[in-house]
Amino acid sequence: MGERGVNMIQAIGKKLLTTVLTLLAASFLVFATAEFSPGNVARKTLGPFASQQSVDILYERLQLNDPLPIRYARWLGVLLGLKADPLQDPVLKLDFKDPRGDQYFGNFGYSTLYKAPVNDVIWGRLANTGLLAGLAFAIIVPLSLSLGILAGMREGGPLDRSISIFGIVTTSIPEFASGVFLVAVFVVWLGWLPGTSPLAGSTGWPVWTQLVLPVTVLVLYDSGYLIRMVRGSMAEVMAKPYIRTAILKGLPFREVVTRHAMRNAMIAPFTVILLQINFLISGVVVTELVFAYPGFGRMILDASLFGDIALIEAATLIALVVAITTQFLGDLGYALLNPQIRLS
Amino acid sequence: MSNDKKIPHIDKLSRQLADKTMDRREFVRYAALLGMAAPAAYALAGSITGEPFAPPASAQTTLPKGGILRIGNRVKEIKSPHSYSWGGYDSNMSRQVLEYLTYTDIDGVTKPYLCESWTVSDDLKTWTFKIRKGIKWRKGSDFTAEHAVWNLKRVLDPAVGSSMIGLMKGYLLNEKTGADGKATTEIWAPNAIEIVDPLTFRINCKVPQVAVPEHLFHYPMAIMHPSENGVFGVGSDGTGAFELTEFELGKKAVFKKNPNYWGGAVALDGMEHIDTGDDPTAAIAALASKQLHGLVFADPIQYEALKAQPHLAFYDVATAETAVMRMRPDAKPFDNPKVRKALRLASDPAATVKIALQGLGLGGEHHHCSPAHPDYAKIAPFPRDVAGAKKLLAEAGFPNGVDGEIFCPTDNPWIQTMVEASVEQWKEAGIRIKITLMPGAQYWDVWTKVPFGATIWYHRPLSIMCLGLAYRTGVPWNESGYSNKEFDEILTVAEGTVDLAKRKELVAKLEKIMQDDGPIVQPIFRSTFTFMDKKVKGFTMHPTNYLFGWKIGLEA
Repeated sequence: MGERGVNMIQAIGKKLLTTVLTLLAASFLVFATAEFSPGNVARKTLGPFASQQSVDILYERLQLNDPLPIRYARWLGVLLGLKADPLQDPVLKLDFKDPRGDQYFGNFGYSTLYKAPVNDVIWGRLANTGLLAGLAFAIIVPLSLSLGILAGMREGGPLDRSISIFGIVTTSIPEFASGVFLVAVFVVWLGWLPGTSPLAGSTGWPVWTQLVLPVTVLVLYDSGYLIRMVRGSMAEVMAKPYIRTAILKGLPFREVVTRHAMRNAMIAPFTVILLQINFLISGVVVTELVFAYPGFGRMILDASLFGDIALIEAATLIALVVAITTQFLGDLGYALLNPQIRLS
Repeated sequence: MSNDKKIPHIDKLSRQLADKTMDRREFVRYAALLGMAAPAAYALAGSITGEPFAPPASAQTTLPKGGILRIGNRVKEIKSPHSYSWGGYDSNMSRQVLEYLTYTDIDGVTKPYLCESWTVSDDLKTWTFKIRKGIKWRKGSDFTAEHAVWNLKRVLDPAVGSSMIGLMKGYLLNEKTGADGKATTEIWAPNAIEIVDPLTFRINCKVPQVAVPEHLFHYPMAIMHPSENGVFGVGSDGTGAFELTEFELGKKAVFKKNPNYWGGAVALDGMEHIDTGDDPTAAIAALASKQLHGLVFADPIQYEALKAQPHLAFYDVATAETAVMRMRPDAKPFDNPKVRKALRLASDPAATVKIALQGLGLGGEHHHCSPAHPDYAKIAPFPRDVAGAKKLLAEAGFPNGVDGEIFCPTDNPWIQTMVEASVEQWKEAGIRIKITLMPGAQYWDVWTKVPFGATIWYHRPLSIMCLGLAYRTGVPWNESGYSNKEFDEILTVAEGTVDLAKRKELVAKLEKIMQDDGPIVQPIFRSTFTFMDKKVKGFTMHPTNYLFGWKIGLEA
C-alpha cells in the first residue's frame, strides 16, 4: 500500500512535469504562429491611421528585429512577471495603462482590439462561456450516460433503435442550423424565448431565459455523439462472458447492469466525456455567434480576425491549460476506474 | 429678420431661386449655411416663389416620457472621438454625450446647435460663430468659445490623426516639412481660429469656403471638455442629453439621461446600445423577441425578414453612401490612367445595383458625386463600353488584357457582391482580377496600402466634401494616394463658390477628371434604411445614420 502511494505521487509528479513542458512547447508554437501572421506587431498595435514613422519607432523600441527565441523569452518574462511590459513604457505614449502595474505574474499584455489589458477582457468572457459550457455539461453528461446505457443494455431492441436514431439526427445537424430552427420555433412563432443572449438583464427577458436556447443547441449537438459512445461501450460489456455468467447464475438483470456492467462500460467513454470540456470552452464559437453571446469563443474569433496578438496568445494558452488539465484529470480518473491500469 | 442685411450673397441666391436655377431646398440650405436662421430661410423662400413652404416640424411634439431605448449597434472602440473612422458605430455612442457646434438635418439644412447663429463676410473668408447662452457641461461648468476653439485646434493637429484635416486642409492648413523631413501640415495663420469674446469665436479662412458650418457637423468634430484631453469614456463630461455610465467593448454601452440638459427635458430615461455581433441573423432574432427596439442601420440581407415583422416600422433615405473600388496610381498596372479608365468603361452600374442592392440604390458614375448631393453636376453619360475599354488597354500596352488582384473586406455583404459582379463584368474586356477576401478588421489595417481595394464610404452632405476627404493630395483619408494638381485647385475654388450654378460647373470638371484620370471604379450608391419598433416615436432616418437620443421617445 505504502509503495503504491509513493509510486502514485512520483507518477503524478512526472505527469505535472510533462504538463509544464507541454505548456512551454505549445506556448512557443502559439507565440511563433501569432508573430508570423501577416502585418507587423507594431502596426497592429498602433492601428491603421498611425504614421509609418511611429510604427518604425515602436518596431525599434520593441526590438522586433531580434530572433524569435529571444522575443519569446522576453514575452515569457513579461508573462511571468520577471520583466516590465515594454508596451506600457510611457516613452511610447501608447496610453496602455494597466492598473496592476507593468510587472506582475500573469501579465498577458494589452489587447489592441479591446484597448484594455488582456486580464480585464478575458476572464469575464471565460466566465460567460464557463456558465454556458457548465450548464450544457451538467445536462449532457447525465443525459447521454442514461440514454447510452439504456440503449446499450439491450442492443438492437426498439429502445436502442430510437435512441440511436435520435443521437445520429441531432449530431448531424450543425449548430447554426439547429440554432436558426429553434429561433424560428420558440422565438418567432411561439414567442416564448428571447432570440439573442447578450446577457443584459434589461432587455425585457431575464438572463436565465437567454441561456435556454444556446444551452439546448449545445446539448443537442454534443449529446448525440456521447450517447453513441456510451451505448457502444455498454453493448460491448454486455456481451462479455462474465455478464452472461451473472445472468445465467440468476442475478436480476437490473443488478447485473448496475453492479457489474456499468463501471466497466464507463472506462472508455470517461476520457471522451472529459474531452467535451475542451470542446465546450473553445468550440462554442458558432453557438455564440448565432445568439450574440458575449463569450470566450466569439472573443477568440474577433481577436483572430482583428489580429490582436496578445489576446490570441493569452486565449490559446488558457484553452491549452484547460485541455491539459482535463487530460490530466482524465488519466487520473481512468486509473481509478480501471484497477488494471497503473499510472506508472 | 433683423440680420438679413448682414448675410452676403442672399440677393444672388434669391435671384437664382426666382429664376428657378436653384430649387427651394437648395436655397434654404445655402441661406442657412451662410447664417440665416432656418425658419427665416424657409419663409424667405416662400415669399420669393409665392408658394407656402413649411419647414419640417422641428419642435419636439409631445413624446411619451420614460423608458430605456435599446438599439442594436456594434459596440466598438470609442476612446478617441476626434479620430473616429466609422460614424455609425462609434460616433452614435459618443453623440449622446458630446454635441456639435452645428446640426445638419435630414434635408441637408444646417441649423444652430451649440452655436446659435453665425455670420460670414462678403468674401466668404471670415466666419463668426456665436455660441448659445446658458449651455452647461453636465459637470457644471459653462460652455465657452475657448472650449470650441480648443477642439478645433486639436482636430487640426496632425498628431491627432483626425479626418477633419481632409475637410479643412484647403482653407485652414498649410503644408510644411516636419522636423523629420516628412510632409505635414500646420494651421495657416496664428489667428486662423480666434476667440472674440467668451461666447464668440471666429474662423479666418485662407481661401473662400462656403461649407464651414457643415464641416462642423462632421462626426469627428464632437465637442469635448478640454480637461479630458481628447479621451472619451464612462463618466466623461459632455454638454449632451445623456451620460455614458457603462461600456463593455463588443457587448454593450449604457447611457443615463442628463437631468440638467440645457436643451430641456429628455423623454427617455436612458439608452442602451447592444452588440449582436457579426451574424446579421442575430439582430433579426433580437428584434423578433423585442430584445431590441431597433437598429442603427439594417443590411440588405435583413430586409425581407424584418419587413415581415408587423411590430416594426421601416425607415429609409436616399444617400451618397457607396463603396469604391479604388486603385493606387503608384501601383502597377494601375499607374496608367488608361488602365483605370478601362476598368470604369468595362463595368455595368445598372446591373450591379440590381445584383448587389436588390435595386435599393442608384447607379454611380465613377466620380463619387451623387444625385443626393445638391452640388452634383449632371455631365455627359458614361455608358458601358467594352470595346472602348479593350482599345484603351491596348493603347496602354496590354493588348492581351491585364491581370490584377482586388482586396475586399467581408464585413458588408453587399460590397462583396458588388466586387464579384464587377469582376465578372471586367472579364469581358480581358481584365482578369482575382478577389482576395479579408475580414473587415484586417482590411482596415491596410486599406490605404493595398494596390486595389474595395472601401465603404458613408454619406457626406456635399459632393465636394467627399472629394476633399478622399481624393485631395496628401490628406489622411486619401486611400489611393491620388494626386492631381488641377483637381486640387478646382476643388479649392469650388469650396469657396457660393453660386450654385458656378459651383456645379466646377464640380462637373472634377467629375470629368475623376472619370478620365481618377483612381476609382464606383458603380453604386445605396439607400440606407433601418427598422424600429413602432413604439419608438420621433425617429427619422438620417442619411449619415446618425442617431439622436434626445429626439426619441418610447411608448410604454
